[in-house]
Amino acid sequence: MAMNYNAKDEVDGGPPCAPGGTAKNRRPDNTAFKQQRLPAWQPILTAGTVLPTFFIIGLIFIPIGIGIFVTSNNIREIEIDYTGTDPSSPCNKCLSPNVTPCICTINFTLEQSFEGNVFMYYGLSNFYQNHRRYVKSRDDSQLNGDPSALLNPSKECEPYRRNEDKPIAPCGAIANSMFNDTLDLFLVGNESDPTPIHLIKKGIAWWTDKNVKFRNPPGADIPLEERFKGTTKPVNWVKPVYMLDPNEDNSGFINEDFIVWMRTAALPTFRKLYRLIERKSDLHPTLPAGRYYLNITYNYPVHSFDGRKRMILSTISWMGGKNPFLGIAYIAIGSISFLLGVVLLVINHKYRNSSNTADITI
Amino acid sequence: MVKEDETFPCDLIFLSSSRADGTCHVTTASLDGESSHKTHYAVQDTKGFHTEEDIDSLHATIECERPQPDLYKFVGRINVYNDLNDPVVRPLGSENLLLRGATLKNTEKIFGVAVYTGMETKMALNYQSKSQKRSAVEKSMNVFLIVYLCILVSKALINTIMKYVWQSEPFRDEPWYNQKTEAERQRNLLLRAFTDFLAFMVLFNYIIPVSMYVTVEMQKFLGSYFITWDEEMFDEETGEGPLVNTSDLNEELGQVEYVFTDKTGTLTENNMEFKECCVEGHVYVPHAVCNGQVLPTAAAIDMIDASPGAGGREREELFFRAVCLCHTIQVKDDDEVDGPRKSPDSGKRCAYISSSPDEVALVEGIQRLGFTYLRLKDNYMELRNRDNDIERFELLEILSFDSVRRRMSVIVKSATGEIYLFCKGADSSIFPRVIEGKVDQIQSRVERNAVEGLRTLCVAYKRLIQEEYEGIYKLLQAAKVALHDRERKLAEAYEQIEKDLILLGATAVEDRLQEKAADTIEALQKAGIKVWVLTGDKMETAAAACYACRLFRRNTQLLEVTTKRLEEQSLHDVLCELSKTVLHCSASLTRDSFSGLSADVQDYGLIIDGAALSLIMKPHEDGSSSNYRELFLDICRNCSAVLCCRMAPLQKAQIVKLIKFSKEHPITLAIGDGANDVSMILEAHVGIGIIGKEGRQAARNSDYAIPKFKHLKKMLLVHGHFYYIRISELVQYFFYKNVCFIFPQFLYQFFCGFSQQTLYDTAYLTLYNISFTSLPILLHSLTEQHVAMDTLKRDPALYRDIAKNALLCWRVFIYWTFLGVFDALVFFFGAYFMFENTTVTSNGQVFGNWTFGTLVFTVMVFTVTLKLALDTHYWTWINHFVIWGSLLFYVVFSLLWGGIIWPFLSYQRMYYVFIHMLSSGPAWLAIVLLVAVSLLPDVLKKVLCRQLWPSATERVQRSSSRRAPADAAPSPDRPLLMDPEPRPRRE
Repeated sequence: MAMNYNAKDEVDGGPPCAPGGTAKNRRPDNTAFKQQRLPAWQPILTAGTVLPTFFIIGLIFIPIGIGIFVTSNNIREIEIDYTGTDPSSPCNKCLSPNVTPCICTINFTLEQSFEGNVFMYYGLSNFYQNHRRYVKSRDDSQLNGDPSALLNPSKECEPYRRNEDKPIAPCGAIANSMFNDTLDLFLVGNESDPTPIHLIKKGIAWWTDKNVKFRNPPGADIPLEERFKGTTKPVNWVKPVYMLDPNEDNSGFINEDFIVWMRTAALPTFRKLYRLIERKSDLHPTLPAGRYYLNITYNYPVHSFDGRKRMILSTISWMGGKNPFLGIAYIAIGSISFLLGVVLLVINHKYRNSSNTADITI
Repeated sequence: MVKEDETFPCDLIFLSSSRADGTCHVTTASLDGESSHKTHYAVQDTKGFHTEEDIDSLHATIECERPQPDLYKFVGRINVYNDLNDPVVRPLGSENLLLRGATLKNTEKIFGVAVYTGMETKMALNYQSKSQKRSAVEKSMNVFLIVYLCILVSKALINTIMKYVWQSEPFRDEPWYNQKTEAERQRNLLLRAFTDFLAFMVLFNYIIPVSMYVTVEMQKFLGSYFITWDEEMFDEETGEGPLVNTSDLNEELGQVEYVFTDKTGTLTENNMEFKECCVEGHVYVPHAVCNGQVLPTAAAIDMIDASPGAGGREREELFFRAVCLCHTIQVKDDDEVDGPRKSPDSGKRCAYISSSPDEVALVEGIQRLGFTYLRLKDNYMELRNRDNDIERFELLEILSFDSVRRRMSVIVKSATGEIYLFCKGADSSIFPRVIEGKVDQIQSRVERNAVEGLRTLCVAYKRLIQEEYEGIYKLLQAAKVALHDRERKLAEAYEQIEKDLILLGATAVEDRLQEKAADTIEALQKAGIKVWVLTGDKMETAAAACYACRLFRRNTQLLEVTTKRLEEQSLHDVLCELSKTVLHCSASLTRDSFSGLSADVQDYGLIIDGAALSLIMKPHEDGSSSNYRELFLDICRNCSAVLCCRMAPLQKAQIVKLIKFSKEHPITLAIGDGANDVSMILEAHVGIGIIGKEGRQAARNSDYAIPKFKHLKKMLLVHGHFYYIRISELVQYFFYKNVCFIFPQFLYQFFCGFSQQTLYDTAYLTLYNISFTSLPILLHSLTEQHVAMDTLKRDPALYRDIAKNALLCWRVFIYWTFLGVFDALVFFFGAYFMFENTTVTSNGQVFGNWTFGTLVFTVMVFTVTLKLALDTHYWTWINHFVIWGSLLFYVVFSLLWGGIIWPFLSYQRMYYVFIHMLSSGPAWLAIVLLVAVSLLPDVLKKVLCRQLWPSATERVQRSSSRRAPADAAPSPDRPLLMDPEPRPRRE
């Protein structure tokens, strides 16, 4: 029956406009598009079609969530606040600006050993790196090594554009406020003299930033200092940009600490990668459990804006650092959708009965 | 000078033509679409000038009125100065005016003098758009827009205030790492606050979807093509398809609550057939029609032979001559002419052409009774009488027809020198002017014919003596030459002339119903649309037509408010009584529907005539008129059908207006075919013209024109329904997607110190509405069909689901807005918790604020597009293409945008941001999760509503989807929705 019906439709739809008369040219074309009869898939969201989807979502999301949650829980992370607002803190002395340079030491203990590569972050709170005035206060051309922009930075850098009639390199508020605490980590072994932990400072910035987006001013053979001739250091810096690191591969605009800082954080509480601690061998944990101390050269003032400073040591899994949110969210959504599936099943069951009877009465 | 087949460059006064009789033929196809040839007449005094020298020698002045857009009206006069005499004054009318844009036909060349040029020509004046009609959708769109404007302003205000509260601590306003410039510091606080406010406004301005207006316009423009392309609305006979004159009202077609239809030419074919005539009580029926018909007057033919006495015979012949002469028909000798109405008597080589089909039918009918009208030549009308003799009458004057007088007259002079005035018109306009004749007999016959649904005309005459005629001539001349108030003066003159007539007889012409008119009306009524018939016809004729087209059924109780009844009772009493009946009925109706016995409720039909209506509408001194109006409206609302007869064109518009501004503000639709319907078409929310036989005026003034009344069904039930759901989805979706877009930005301000920092990159801000999310909704709004077309046609009750702007009511709007806010919260806080104080890459590197924004934006683009995918019920390849295509485009664009250091940009903040984001596993997981979470509530709502409280539409969708796999061929006649009484509207 249905076949006949459809077939008749097709015949109707096909040739009848072919034998053209006089007025036929005004006749609209009988194309599927113009007659709004394009073949179409007509899905309808009913409980029947949605039910399996809900169950499938539930069945997929819950295991993923559990996986993520477990992974996240296996990550070792330790966070040490060294702001020094607490009077008992060793860094409390550094709050007054008179003590320069101020070095303080904080002891801590790792209860469990850190396996695999360990990442050392510094974290700041209440620091608005995402403030509009701050975000735009940079000159990407200058950072890309453009000689004209080097000597004549963008207006966006104001009021950190020029100092004493010399252009600032790198200009802008972001560069000016670069984080300049130095953190050193020592393991207090069984013996009395502590062993310093080797901190690697390469590979903390995005590869593309380091190699493409940030470039020193041109001139391969000339010493770095010459290339920055005619510029001055940012007001708050102690050293000019070309002396950020003794190694020329990591100095100037392509200093990785600098590049990391220049990637403005999304939220006022953020962490930035400071150093890497590479795994030495499979046998020994990178950071065995035990007592450590952190040596801080305290330069960076955060007290004035109620900020906090932290040092974070963390291992990393395939999904990054410790983040329980994603796993919990997956589990929650998976369960909810499973539950909804059950509810819908019940409703659908009831409804189908009633609709069937309705059909019969009709 | 204009040659054949040339177009007139400006409006010309026609001076002379190459034709001897000083006429020319033009076609105004490009002006009003009428392809028939029209004859124009040269000015009498100048029609002899045939060369350019002659024209040069002409000395004349022309006075004319100021330029007017009316194509068919022109008032002016020409003063021709001869050397000797006083100037000759001649009136100029539209018959002397050749319009710019018209084309000269069948005439070698003409001479003319320009009167209006350039922008003053009638054609140019007609470019002016008619008063703009706005659809209900557009109105609610504007209201929503105002709501959003308020939201925008309040958002900006909240943020500005918060900013200053937050900044009150100086270390927040200006921490050491982020200092202001000197200029910024010195700026006045108020000024700063104001600029901040403006900056927030700029930041959030995307919530006002400017692109929505562009998309809506495009949708309407492109969408209207589907009407013109519709094959089912193409009429084979006339070769006409539907016309769309405005695309602004497409969706209004889905909202119609009242249909006002003309009868003649709209419900009926306007294909007149002469049925009979009645001379002094004797009834004549032409042979051709008589065949096989059992009329009570079958013996009528005998009457012609058995001539009823000499006086009767004379009267009879006079009657035939009157019908033969009293018209404005032109005769086309030429068979090639594409005049659509050839004489059905194919033996004759001549065809009659007239603007009124009644006249053609009459003259053709009389032809069968022996009198043939031959032609009009040199002001002499020639006709062949029964004895095959040619009689010639000099045509002295034509008192042309107008719809106010409802009659026309000619004054002719017979060969014997007798002057006659023949008058033909509606019975109501003739009878009061008759002083002699068998009025009673004829009147009864007329009424009887009217009941049978025939159109009747009465014919009367008056014999004039020479002096009388001269008086008349002067009167007319004076009126015709008048520059001011010519119409009024002419009307007065006609009034004086057409009196003291002697009644000759009456004619009856049948007008068949249009095919499927009844079917269409039934469907419209099922769709919850109230159909009113407004006609100029007699009550009996109109009522008969209404029964025929099932507007009234057998069990319909008719309520009458007519002049006759008002003579007996006062208007007040009548109205009160009727309202009592009706209200009682409606009360019982509600009771019945409660008890479930709604099957045979008394139907009420109201009949009202023009005179009674004007009484109701007439404002009283004591202001009680509004009472009557309210009462009348109450009655009307409770009647299933209303018939208004004896309506003047303006009254039709008045009725439409009355309903339009009644307290529910229903959407009205007027449909008609003739010039007399134009006012109503212009007045109604939607005006539909029938491309009919009474010229193109209605079609030209309408918003949509269709070839036949039956096409209205598809127009409203299918196209209107589709357009409405499409546009409402479009509007709601646009608001939704912009809430999704902007609300995260608003939230972000709380985390960036209210500094107006944008969450997304500029390119994303710009392209979001332009390219990432625009095409899917545009194509959705062009192709969406939530229910199959056939189902909509089969099941008119589905139309009720969208009545009263149901898809754009506040409930739905708020749902969409909250959905948008919910989704925005999910996007933002999902990303927030992802990023908060952790890293999400496997190499420990961190992401910045642009990655954060890009993640939110990516989730948003996917959610918003997939939300549309969920709403799409009709997936053609186009939908697949644009939906998946625009997602792909987004990804490709983002890869490209971040993949290169763009030399023309002063910042490179997006460099590799998107690619780095994609290299992070949790980002993928988050995208999947957040998209799922955002769509979940909407899916849930859809499923639950469908399951628990399905609307009629949804039930049909379900049953059709269930039926399709079940392989049960739906029988086309059986409505899918079996519910005989559709559920009452949810309100």
